Amino acid sequence: MSIMEYNGAAVVAMVGKNCVAIASDTRLGQQAMTIDTNFQKVFPVTDKTMIGMAGLATDVLTLRDRFRYKVNMYKLKEERTIEPQTFAHMVSAALYEKRFGPYFIEPVIAGMDKRNQPFICSMDTIGCINFAKDFVVAGNAGGGLYGMCESLWEPDLEPEDLFETISQALLNAVDRNALSGWGAVVHIITPDQVITRQLKSRMLDWADPTVKDKAVRYTRL
Amino acid sequence: MDARIDLNNIGFDFDLTKRNAGLEANGATAPKATKTGTTIVGLLFKDGLVLGADTRATEGPIVADKNCEKIHYIAPNMYCCGAGTAADTEFTTNMISSQMELHRMSTGRESRVVTAMTLLKQYLFRHQGHISAALVLGGFDVTGPHLYTIYPHGSTDKLPYVTMGSGSLAAMSIFESRWRSDMERQEAIDLVKDAIEAGIFNDLGSGSNVDVCVIEKGKVDYLRNYARPNERAQKEQSYKFPRGTTAVLKTSIRDLVQVTEDTAMDIST
Amino acid sequence: MAPSLKSGEVNLGTTIMAVVYDGGVIIGADSRTTTGSYIANRVTDKLTKIHDRIYCCRSGSAADTQAVADIVHYYTQMYQVQHNAAPTTQVVASLFRELCYSNRNNLMAGIIVAGWDERVGPSVYSIPLGGSIHKQAYAIGGSGSSYIYGYCDANYKDHMNREEAIDFVKKAIALAMSRDGSSGGTIRLAVITEGGVERMFVPGNQLPTFYEG
Repeated sequence: MSIMEYNGAAVVAMVGKNCVAIASDTRLGQQAMTIDTNFQKVFPVTDKTMIGMAGLATDVLTLRDRFRYKVNMYKLKEERTIEPQTFAHMVSAALYEKRFGPYFIEPVIAGMDKRNQPFICSMDTIGCINFAKDFVVAGNAGGGLYGMCESLWEPDLEPEDLFETISQALLNAVDRNALSGWGAVVHIITPDQVITRQLKSRMLDWADPTVKDKAVRYTRL
Repeated sequence: MDARIDLNNIGFDFDLTKRNAGLEANGATAPKATKTGTTIVGLLFKDGLVLGADTRATEGPIVADKNCEKIHYIAPNMYCCGAGTAADTEFTTNMISSQMELHRMSTGRESRVVTAMTLLKQYLFRHQGHISAALVLGGFDVTGPHLYTIYPHGSTDKLPYVTMGSGSLAAMSIFESRWRSDMERQEAIDLVKDAIEAGIFNDLGSGSNVDVCVIEKGKVDYLRNYARPNERAQKEQSYKFPRGTTAVLKTSIRDLVQVTEDTAMDIST
Repeated sequence: MAPSLKSGEVNLGTTIMAVVYDGGVIIGADSRTTTGSYIANRVTDKLTKIHDRIYCCRSGSAADTQAVADIVHYYTQMYQVQHNAAPTTQVVASLFRELCYSNRNNLMAGIIVAGWDERVGPSVYSIPLGGSIHKQAYAIGGSGSSYIYGYCDANYKDHMNREEAIDFVKKAIALAMSRDGSSGGTIRLAVITEGGVERMFVPGNQLPTFYEG
């Protein structure tokens, strides 16, 4: 069993016309057992930058906090908001520092820079950046996601079309991956708004956080 | 966080090694890092040297990046091809590049290739092969053109034509059959292109495009994607979904305030 | 644990040799460097200059021997500046011994130091794997040397002249190269005398030949 398969995850980001999209599934598992179906894997970094993390959930939480700290310190020192490219190098350096005892995380970063140019990238667990002009993927459904993206993605998709493309790529990839799925969330970042949508995916009603009157409820932090 | 760099705290952090060893002891396996399967080459010609690389990065059997850059900048007169663990080649060359820039600032002289070579070999030797960076270093300095190979354990070779990476055998077969001393610039570029293509087509770890870098006295030509022998055919139809295909449970929109530059506050005039 | 090559490490498979003759010392080596079964360099120069008239022949791990040679090279340059005199071959050999012995658990380096100095004239020192030091009339080393101990013992003579010594070294290395898969390519030679160093090169198609079945 690979450590990267312990909790299960699927994250993807895509470039569109004057917009970017980043999406993930919401399952948290302990190998085959599903623990949570509303586990956050994509986090806002700035208004127009987000980071998604696939891998060991404990490291997702640790790094989410570490990056928030680093980004806040950057803002205090530099008196400006961090650019997605700069943030990518910050993440990369933080991961490579632990080259010989890594965090088990594959990050995906998506954002619009100060000139409102779309930016996406992904990294391996030790911080090797993959700058892509089309799409990047991470997590267990990686192989399936690559296949979906290679066939569905096309250049210059408008935000609403990009939403359909990334959603279908993610949904259909996780449907053939036992370790990910159970809900999905998509963020479309444009120069003037961030649209967040929770998708209807293959999952039981009772586990759906958005369905109101259900027989079984469980509390969430 | 201090603005100054804490010199006692540079280098690698081994905090998580114990935890990770524990996880591995419980049967978990560590993930694969991105490797550059790679064909990289270098070649001396009459007036300088040519570096070449393919552009495929792999994670196990998956192509992680179809068009990555493997020819790294070291100094204005010096570039370095990297094979091995992608993060290692990237960070090692970046670090040496910054050391070379500081060295230039303090000496006021153009960088020499031996300097970079020595820094690289000593750094890699210090880490005893654990930093998997196999490099082809080339540059033109005050003493002429130089071409070195640097292995992960820190050994170096100086040769007129070199290849490295998993495609090195395929590329070397081209060099060994067609290399001559004192080639013309275009002949050299063509030979490097053919050597890289031999790697792209015959080595599974290498693929996609050919990057070339020509270094001559006082002149560098970085020819990104000099050859693209694997262009994907245009899709005949679109897979664009009609809007509304995806079932949405909930939408939330966060409107961003547009901050625009204005001259109203300009008091300089 | 005895040191061994790490996986993927560059190996100087190697046959190296040094012989004292009447006016100086001859050093020689094959030119093959291997990584596993691949020849990473077929024209390697394993004869490394340490000082004006002191050379070393390297065998074992390419990285380890280069690192050690670079450090000794640095020490001898400092010695030259501080003493305003060239170090003797013995001093250089002792520096190699010190590094090889104190790091014996981490190094794969079999080194022969040969040179000419004012004090004793020509001399040869062998520093094999454990970091011991042996002053010898002639020394052989590397994986290929096992095949030529008999030949060398049978053919070595005290007080050879230059040509005899060159011929002895050339033939011994050629014999080792023909039997040892990790040695091969060309023969590199150097003649070190009071007058300086003369480098020689025998291409792979002009090697001395013997019975070849």
